Amino acid sequence: MEFGWNEELEAFRDEVRAFLQEFDTPALRKELANRGEAAQLDPEQTRLREALEDRGWVRMCWPEELGGEGKSQWFQFVMTEEFAKREVPYGSGFGTMVGPAIHRFGTEAQREKYLPGIWANDITICLGYSEPNAGTDLAALETLAVKDGDDWLINGQKLWTSAADTASHVWLACRTDPEAPKHRGISTFIVPMDTPGISVRPIMTMSGGRTNEVFFEDVRVPSDALIGEVNQGWYIIANALDHERVWIGAGGGLRHIFDRLMAHVREKRPELLEDDVVRRRLVELELDLDVMEGLVLTNASIVASGDTPTMEASMSKIWTSELRYHISDVAMDLLGHEGALTEDADGFAPLDGELERTYRASPIQRFGGGANEVQRDIIARRGLGLPRH
Amino acid sequence: MDTTLSETQRLLRDSLRDYLSNEVPFDRIRELEREGGADQTLWEYLAGAGFLGLPFTEAHGGEGGELTDTAVVLEELTRRACVIPFLETTASALAIERHGDEALAGEVVRGVISGAMTIAPALQGATPANGAAPRVEGGALTGERRFVDYGAEVTHHLVEATENGEPGLYLIETAADGVATESLSTIARTPLAHCTYDGAPARRAGGAEALQFLRRAGRALCAVQCLGNAQQALDMTVEYVGMRVQFGRPIGSFQAVQHHCANMATQTLSARFLTYRAVWCVDQGIATDREIAKAKALASRAGTEVTMQAHILFGGIGYTEEYDLHFFSRHGKERALAWGSAEECLRIAADTLDEVQPWQ
Repeated sequence: MEFGWNEELEAFRDEVRAFLQEFDTPALRKELANRGEAAQLDPEQTRLREALEDRGWVRMCWPEELGGEGKSQWFQFVMTEEFAKREVPYGSGFGTMVGPAIHRFGTEAQREKYLPGIWANDITICLGYSEPNAGTDLAALETLAVKDGDDWLINGQKLWTSAADTASHVWLACRTDPEAPKHRGISTFIVPMDTPGISVRPIMTMSGGRTNEVFFEDVRVPSDALIGEVNQGWYIIANALDHERVWIGAGGGLRHIFDRLMAHVREKRPELLEDDVVRRRLVELELDLDVMEGLVLTNASIVASGDTPTMEASMSKIWTSELRYHISDVAMDLLGHEGALTEDADGFAPLDGELERTYRASPIQRFGGGANEVQRDIIARRGLGLPRH
Repeated sequence: MDTTLSETQRLLRDSLRDYLSNEVPFDRIRELEREGGADQTLWEYLAGAGFLGLPFTEAHGGEGGELTDTAVVLEELTRRACVIPFLETTASALAIERHGDEALAGEVVRGVISGAMTIAPALQGATPANGAAPRVEGGALTGERRFVDYGAEVTHHLVEATENGEPGLYLIETAADGVATESLSTIARTPLAHCTYDGAPARRAGGAEALQFLRRAGRALCAVQCLGNAQQALDMTVEYVGMRVQFGRPIGSFQAVQHHCANMATQTLSARFLTYRAVWCVDQGIATDREIAKAKALASRAGTEVTMQAHILFGGIGYTEEYDLHFFSRHGKERALAWGSAEECLRIAADTLDEVQPWQ
């Protein structure tokens, strides 16, 4: 047991800090503040991503067989943490999830065709998983891919396809054997979004963000769009999700919200700090953040020791997502009516409207990415070994 | 950073767990509850097997290990509801060895490792219900301390007292003239004493630093006890609901039961991280009162909430004296209150809110 950082990681942390010192420029800040529909085209972010790629930091912790350096996962953790502290985003979205799946299950030709583009972010990916009748029960998906000569012909509809409007490709799960048990008749494809027959309709969410539904009408793709074996898709998807789980965030900015809340109260509402009840509620939030830190670091430690967290990852997901709601809820409540102000209430909104924004955007964290009820099932069954019914 | 047990820690845990499950049946605990006193047989085993020397320096005959090793042992002892002054003796001797009187340290640590010497800290706790604060004059200690764990069972007390207005720690013999102990009955049914000192011969064992270390080590290790009670109740519950059949199937297959178990496991695991980190920080000398208070608050809640939720899932059987679950809910609550309750610890954290620094 060891709860500090060794010299090698401390040195790396310094390197990352120096890197951010150099690249976290006013120009980048301006770009991030105006982050719009085509974020990946922004020059400062591209410069940052290329510099990260040059240093080999993006995939340094991946196994060598996936094109990484096999370094301890703590390096990834430290880097993620330093980026999170400065609130600088990085990474190539879903590419970090789909890339390894292509590397592992694709042919040599498919690797050469897709991976360099994914790593360089020239190929950006959206996930074609959910459908109107396949949400939490993803294996019930119905979008059909039928062999037609050498090609595949795809028909169906995907839902909640975030980034479908900006991505160059969709990573698509389709039914290829309607007769087989539902987990055994699914295959995975990678399909360019500009293929004829694909149409995208926007869906605006209460967070202000956009997601989409995507329609596939006689979409014809060549045989090499299939990744892996026919009907092996569920296994590939599960594998990709495992890899996603291994990627561990550093608490998604909740610490920043707490810090800014403290700063706001200290500067603008000092009378609140005279109240013992308020002080106690702030300490309770701090405890909740401590718990989050404990769960995140416990997960990271399991990964770093070469194991795969299962129930621990679910615990962390549940806690962090519920805290995102709770911290914004409590903070708004402590501030009273001013807590309701949005960023458009120029100059009046506490934390520039961040609390209101976070509160409004918080539901998806809890129901998305595997609903928290399902996460609790996973903890009970896979983690604690309780029986299924 | 590594939250997993070291090889040494795994060995310590497994060997002690084997011994306890074979040699310390729960009926032994019931017997001690009826008759009072601590488990002398177990203490002798721990001394003989080297468990008492883990955190002390090799110069004093110890193992030179980490305080987290001792915490692993303490957690196992807690999970068997053992009645011995292990936390009290270890934390006291360590406070003297690390920050106290050098001449005394060798004698105390060797005495402890041999099993002959046991020590109860008699401090001004977080709960302000103590009597006249002890004072020392001319080597004689006079005053009162309430809430002294194992005060009547140990060979020595390490008393927080003032001498010429300066706070310090003073070692006295329980058997000495001028020391009186009166047993207090608690929900845990483990030994607790109200101690009165009337001119008891006292040796100065350490000053403010030793006192501060003892407070921190005691609170962090008490958090380990809270955690041990929670973990034991959780494991017993998971085993029970997986096997208990109602409506034609194990009740552990019902989602409502599963989700309770999932929440209990989450609370226990997160308390585990913060508790062991607190112990580690004490050992490294980088602990702050605030961080330890927060860890203890979380552990106290886990030791209370998880053990009581276990009762709800067990139903009638867990409510009986014959079943073993009540050891953990009763001990869990008492340990939740000892060395600072959740509320007392939160008050410490709230009073020091100004220390909160932005994430950087």
